[in-house]
Amino acid sequence: MEGCPRSRETCPKLLDLIPQERKWYHDEEKNNSDQEKKLELRLAPPGGDEEDLSAMKKKKNLETRNNIKKEAEDKPIFNLSGNHFSPSNKTTYAPPHISHKRTAPGPVVGWPPVRSFRKNLASSSSSKLGNDQINKSGEGEKQVEPKREGMFVKINMDSVPIGRKVDLNAYSTYEQLSLAVDKLFRGLLAAQRDTSGGEGEEQPIIGLLNGKGEFTLTYEDNEGDKMLVGDVPWQMFVSSVKRLRVIKSSEISSALKFGCSKQRENEELKWLSGTSVCVEGSHSF
Amino acid sequence: MPEDDEDQSPPSDLRSQPPCSPNKSRNCISSSSSQTFPDHVLENVLENVLQFLDSRCDRNAASLVCKLWWKVEGLTRSEVFIGNCYALSPARLTQRFKRVRSLLLKGKPRFADFNLMPPDWGANIAPWVSTMAKAYPWLEKVDLKRMFVTDDDLALLAESFPGFKELILVCCEGFGTSGIAVVANKCRKLKVLDLIESEVTDDEVDWVSCFPEDVTCLESLAFDCVEAPINFKALEGLVGRSPSLRKLRLNRFVSLEELRRLLLLGAPQLTSLGTGSFSRGDQSDEQGPPDYAAAFRACKSVVCLSGFRELMPEYLPAILPVCANLTSLNFSYANISPDMFKPIIHSCHKLQIFWALDSICDEGLQAVAATCKELRELRIFPFDPREDSEGPVSELGLQAISEGCRKLESLLYFCQRMTNAALIAMSHNCPELTVFRLCIMGRHRPDHVTGKAMDEGFGAIVKNCKKLTRLAVSGLLTDQAFRYMGEYGKLIRTLSVAFAGDSDMALRHVLEGCPRLQKLEIRDSPFGDVALRSGMHRYYNMRFVWMSACSLSMGCCKDVARAMPNLVVEVIGSDDDDENREFVETLYMYRSLDGPRKDAPQFVTIL
Repeated sequence: MEGCPRSRETCPKLLDLIPQERKWYHDEEKNNSDQEKKLELRLAPPGGDEEDLSAMKKKKNLETRNNIKKEAEDKPIFNLSGNHFSPSNKTTYAPPHISHKRTAPGPVVGWPPVRSFRKNLASSSSSKLGNDQINKSGEGEKQVEPKREGMFVKINMDSVPIGRKVDLNAYSTYEQLSLAVDKLFRGLLAAQRDTSGGEGEEQPIIGLLNGKGEFTLTYEDNEGDKMLVGDVPWQMFVSSVKRLRVIKSSEISSALKFGCSKQRENEELKWLSGTSVCVEGSHSF
Repeated sequence: MPEDDEDQSPPSDLRSQPPCSPNKSRNCISSSSSQTFPDHVLENVLENVLQFLDSRCDRNAASLVCKLWWKVEGLTRSEVFIGNCYALSPARLTQRFKRVRSLLLKGKPRFADFNLMPPDWGANIAPWVSTMAKAYPWLEKVDLKRMFVTDDDLALLAESFPGFKELILVCCEGFGTSGIAVVANKCRKLKVLDLIESEVTDDEVDWVSCFPEDVTCLESLAFDCVEAPINFKALEGLVGRSPSLRKLRLNRFVSLEELRRLLLLGAPQLTSLGTGSFSRGDQSDEQGPPDYAAAFRACKSVVCLSGFRELMPEYLPAILPVCANLTSLNFSYANISPDMFKPIIHSCHKLQIFWALDSICDEGLQAVAATCKELRELRIFPFDPREDSEGPVSELGLQAISEGCRKLESLLYFCQRMTNAALIAMSHNCPELTVFRLCIMGRHRPDHVTGKAMDEGFGAIVKNCKKLTRLAVSGLLTDQAFRYMGEYGKLIRTLSVAFAGDSDMALRHVLEGCPRLQKLEIRDSPFGDVALRSGMHRYYNMRFVWMSACSLSMGCCKDVARAMPNLVVEVIGSDDDDENREFVETLYMYRSLDGPRKDAPQFVTIL
């Protein structure tokens, strides 16, 4: 077996490295000699030293049981085994979890192995709404970002019931954003028009920024105001935009006039009841 | 060489017979001796025969016979299963298999579900969709597990495959209700849309309204994992115009009253029902409480019941009319006490699959054991999944199950206390066990009666359950337990180890003793370089090896990578980028035909 020659080389090194000052739960000397015996055994072919192993096992079980009765349940006997073959020396370095366990039995990432959506059952009766993303992380676990590192904002288009999302971090100019919007909605818009007896041909969506096209790109900022896209420097735009909307250029003035939250509520209700959003001009925002 | 799927008939000079059935192919062979192009005939004949092979094991075997069989098998395989999306590239798939209609693809390793892997590791479906869009325009089915799927990917899928019929996403993420809306809208032949245990972001899109307005082909719609309100009126309309609908799994935003209305619409056809929240909204009971049991009485064909996401227990008896028919019952989101549970389970004589929370206690399990003699699969999840929680189930429940449910094949059991005796009993009582997954939630817990390690219990399981293919261990375990696994676990394909073992010998026993081992996932166990090297003769025959928080050195991992060029060895870092780190935080290695992947993120080092 390929592994063997190397193990012969490494084992003597390990023997040297097992320091006397390492802490064990029980009798150090006994353990070190067990240690050596174990190492010797590993050089032999597998399954070879039954008797010694079983004797050792009995001893270990006895020790283990004694230790369990002495120690609190959560202090792992694992400490014993954790030190066995780690070549690390005085620094007693170990992966974070292991050292964490030695000092205080705290919660461990991903243990018990239950998927996140099964975790908030104990508190679920109260949380009906979207608190789940916060609850999902659980105690002592890594906070998993639900989305990637990107600035996703929703974008909707008049007469298209399906909204999309764009990652603003992927662009650095308004031109790029405009091209992306065309790419996102061209097909969907054509599909919509197709059903109303149109040609079904895909027309590029252009002129979003200069008011000359059929559609214009607008956005809602963090203060709830509706604005035309393109007026402020890009970075300023990215830092204040909350949501994007592609509206019919013919409805620009009315769209920007009515910007109160009540309009938004009505709009959302319409979505939920399944009707198209592009209704009367004054309510298009 | 005819590529056309339709061209099953023999070449023109033999066309004395109509297009072939298997019998006629045999006649074709006998008259082929006068053939001028025997290879063509043989290929055609082979195609006719091989098209009947369904099992992928059989197909893999057939493809190894000779080059001709390899080629023809590649032309006739319509469903392809890829257990690790990085084992080969999409290009290789489309080169080998020409007429794929159905793809099953798995991505991330299972431990990623438990936050042991940073997000954005990979398993993106994008390159597969774009490659298949060109190669298989006739694609009908895509079944993904643990893949990263974006809305754009779903949009491309919906646009590229006009005949698309089945989309199944299990444990996937990266998409939202926008993506679902596009699929619903564009896949006019959609029969199956199953979203199972996936993370779906709420884009505030009314995707239910996006289905076509006329009669649909829908047979199965499962959206119980979608954490977003839906347009109920649209759903009612959809159910009303989906005459083929057999499986419907609602999310928790569908109330009991809404469920009742849906059942009145389409109950008799349904075979599988996910009941949504199973709680009432704030409605006043002016006419007295509605008769929910009547709605369930209408469910004459329902054999599979799930949901109960926010159960109001006083309404649970409404399901009694269907209990006698149930073969599958999932209570794993419902905090049900033994007293509420017993009257229900008492009627479930035909039950084969049962999932529940440990809130039913040992008492509830005893009731299951008394009634469910046909039980094949049992999963008990913890209501309170913390290491130091109460733990209402124990060895008593397990013992009862082993005595009452002799046909048990698959077990997943979370508990806080267990004994070797109970495992030994189960090993004798349930010889049909193929899957045994026991999670004693407190780490390193011994047998709570004897104080001994759990070695003998697991040892008995591997020794007596001769059909065992999947094993997950827990509790206090010494190398002895692994010695048993190596000695007796000859059929084990999947092994999960956490916080177990004493030394490298443990892992060596397994790597040297389990010839069928395919998937090995280990965390927080003291296995080091010696153990890793001892398995080098196995790794090409395995799907993957995962080892995190063990004692592996970078040097050893590099050695393995160097010695095994077709093995992709990924070292996955964690948040603190400590250069002096002695041990590798996470090792994930897998065989690959196309070398290391090009989409690895920064925190992954491929050696």
